[in-house]
Amino acid sequence: MRLRLTPLRALVLVMVAALSVVYILPVYVMMVTSLKTPLEITQRQYLLPSGNLQFGNFATALRLVFPSLVNSSVISLTVTALSVFVGGLGGYFLARFRWPVTKVLFVLLAIALYLPYQAVLIPLVRLMATTRLALTHFGLILSYLILNVPLAAILMATFFFSVPRELEESAQVDGASRLQIFFRIVSVVALPGYASTAILVFIQVWNEFLLALTLVTPYTTTIQVKLNDIKGSYVALYNLQMAAALITVLVPLTFFLFLGKYFIRGILAGALKG
Amino acid sequence: MSTPSHAVRLARVREAAPFALPLLVFLLVLYGMLAWTVYTSLSDWQGTAPNYTFAGLKWYRFMVGLDRFWVDLDNNLRWLVLGVVPTTVLALCVAYLLEIGAVRGIEAYLRTLVLYPAAMSFVVTGTIWSWMYQADRGVLNTLLRAAGLERLTSGYTTDPATATYWLILIFVWQYLGLAVLILQASFRSVELQEMVESATLDGASRLRILIAVLIPNIRGGILVVVSLLLISALKVFDIVYVVTFGGPGYATDVLALFQFIATYQQHLVALGSGLAVVIFALAFIIIIPYTIYALQRWFE
Repeated sequence: MRLRLTPLRALVLVMVAALSVVYILPVYVMMVTSLKTPLEITQRQYLLPSGNLQFGNFATALRLVFPSLVNSSVISLTVTALSVFVGGLGGYFLARFRWPVTKVLFVLLAIALYLPYQAVLIPLVRLMATTRLALTHFGLILSYLILNVPLAAILMATFFFSVPRELEESAQVDGASRLQIFFRIVSVVALPGYASTAILVFIQVWNEFLLALTLVTPYTTTIQVKLNDIKGSYVALYNLQMAAALITVLVPLTFFLFLGKYFIRGILAGALKG
Repeated sequence: MSTPSHAVRLARVREAAPFALPLLVFLLVLYGMLAWTVYTSLSDWQGTAPNYTFAGLKWYRFMVGLDRFWVDLDNNLRWLVLGVVPTTVLALCVAYLLEIGAVRGIEAYLRTLVLYPAAMSFVVTGTIWSWMYQADRGVLNTLLRAAGLERLTSGYTTDPATATYWLILIFVWQYLGLAVLILQASFRSVELQEMVESATLDGASRLRILIAVLIPNIRGGILVVVSLLLISALKVFDIVYVVTFGGPGYATDVLALFQFIATYQQHLVALGSGLAVVIFALAFIIIIPYTIYALQRWFE
């Protein structure tokens, strides 16, 4: 069948064109601005890339954000690993032990999943301050862990549902314990599920702002807090702001572009099942 | 059939314990802190040192006496309506058009195009859009002037009358992709595809199919999208903090920002806790239908 321009196709094309402009323009502007001189910005030359690309802006921005880039990496990776581990165990319980009490647990988890952080912010900060955990990475790590374990558990449970029970039953006959079955069989089969959960938790923690801002110390400043600082301190230097924003978004965007399949599966698992 | 004996039950609990216990500990901490927040809101804590003297509803009375509280509620309401309804309707249109009229390559392209902001933080989008909106030298106004549309230029987030709407637009921009993704997935059930097919054979128009067949049958998907958007719009903090910090004046202030400022800048911790309880109560109302729906799906 040849492609003809039906009214429907025309409508789709118009939509694609409009959305393209709306979604590409901000990113294009971010990239182009990040390579400009301050003079070009005051002269309002935005849309064309300048002939004199200022890659030095990225060196400057990177110097500013580097320590917080390290902080965010340490915190996000640790939280991801731990919450996927705890969430995996809990998710298996939700998926395989269908007791009346599991329902109660599920409701508590569903509420926790969408809990506004404000609801626990004050006690959490108080706890981290009095135990002095806030002075190290552990403060944010523990806080994010508490807040992300429910998400990880629900997501992992949806992935464990799709692991056939027969796999486990034959191992049970061979005398393997539940924990052995969980680690050696179920978890291995559900590895793509672990990948989805890990990406979602990582992006969530990497992008979190409220808690990172509240618990901020000079030793644990995360990348989002640093970017906000840069935006506030270098008000007119949009080139520097955009370079820093680009660095901030590089890690999650890379995950999205190269592991998008897992990201999408994670969102759908969380949205339609949980 | 008899109920399992005591010993069998004990064995099952023992088997489940290593899986359930870590999760239970974390949940206990989380709900413990929630209770702590509620108690703090009934205390007399102001200043940096904790003061857990019970003060009843003193700070709630103080809260409802503040103009700022009502301005915030009003703004939050705007976020809830304008952040959710246009996003859902637009997402439905995009998802349906993709479903009926798209060539394969275009679908993959468009999905990536609208979904990438979902991987970005509000701080990043706030930084970019501050630059787009900048009134004097910013991108949008420069573009409008270049196109000879001088009268369409605006102060965006610096104009108290419209500032909140421009902030909400950032939110819509960022969440549209998620909504499209979820709605598209809910179109894809086999029964629904068959229903669409038979309606098409009956000669129903495409618009009629959308309204009479698709929308009533993806209530679950719509409920999920609306709940997700409502919760995100309710707890919005980052965009406001980064772009306007509630300004000009209180024009764009929201409950979450006031909660932060009351607690950590004005050190009215009891008031901050009260605001947190209000935010939680609203969130709780929003997720009740969602939780019931999810519970049915899980334990059907």
